[in-house]
Amino acid sequence: MRQVAGARRGLDMWLVQRASAVYMAVFLIVFLALALTAGPLDYAAWRGLFAPLAMKVAGLIFVAALLAHAWIGLREIFIDYVHFLVARLALYLAFAALYLGCLIWAVDILWSVQ
Amino acid sequence: MRFRIYRYDPESGNAPRMQDYDLAMDPAGKKVLDALIAIKDTLDESLAFRRSCREGVCGSDGVNVNGTNVLACITALEGLKEPIEIRPLPRLGVIRDLIVDMAQFYQHYRAVKPYLINLDPEPENERLQAPEDRAELDGLWECILCGCCTTSCPSFWWNPDKFLGPAALLQGYRFIADTRDQATNERLDFLEDPYRLFRCHGIMNCVEVCPKGLNPTQAIGKIKSLLVKRAL
Repeated sequence: MRQVAGARRGLDMWLVQRASAVYMAVFLIVFLALALTAGPLDYAAWRGLFAPLAMKVAGLIFVAALLAHAWIGLREIFIDYVHFLVARLALYLAFAALYLGCLIWAVDILWSVQ
Repeated sequence: MRFRIYRYDPESGNAPRMQDYDLAMDPAGKKVLDALIAIKDTLDESLAFRRSCREGVCGSDGVNVNGTNVLACITALEGLKEPIEIRPLPRLGVIRDLIVDMAQFYQHYRAVKPYLINLDPEPENERLQAPEDRAELDGLWECILCGCCTTSCPSFWWNPDKFLGPAALLQGYRFIADTRDQATNERLDFLEDPYRLFRCHGIMNCVEVCPKGLNPTQAIGKIKSLLVKRAL
């Protein structure tokens, strides 16, 4: 069969991967600075870090960025190494479901902090 | 000096093998190609390899020496660990011994339309270009299509039929960067693909091996930047 390529895609994924990396880097620096200046990090202080709504939102975006970054990375690996398309699609979907589950779980964890 | 050279003749029906040669040669000032020619002249006339200009201009003697893709004619024998292992460029089909089938490589090269597309009436003499526009092409036009970069790229190894590879992408960008070219959009359309362009993960094997010191990764980065610019 004639070679089919030229999906006019890939740029969006590439951009999301770069943007998520930048967000994670910035978040980690800010978060570490906050954590280190918050005094002794006992259980109460650690909980206190996550009490403000802003931190919950920023933390959730971090988890979303991490999962998006990881999924796109896995997609690249699958495109490179898994050439049987049914298996590749199954892997895409399996990890998408798994990561979506992780995201919802992260919501539950973050918003459980009062 | 001891050499260990890849031998394969598909027509013979025998499996590929490595053959050792002991060559009496003073390595001082000599290149790998000198040794290959000496082996063919004095030890084994059946050894097959490509070569032409013997000074790093034609790009026909790309081989893998001790695990690195090089041009045999400009790689010094001195300092190479013995036995010096010489293999054909990775991932391309072997026609015989060190001669590889470049058809796939050239197909990708042709796919990027490596020529100026300009629909304006042809000028009397030449299409003029400002010196600073011309300077944009430095580091792009020098490619000799030896294939060292593309065959050192794992993304090409895994998807040789779909990923264009660093050499073709560098040439693609050479015409995208050319102010005289009028098909930039069509060129970008063609490249915007999960395979053709976005298999590149920027590991820079291509930069490391390029015998002309070019930087395909940077050219690929510039293509991506243009795609972003166009999309936003």
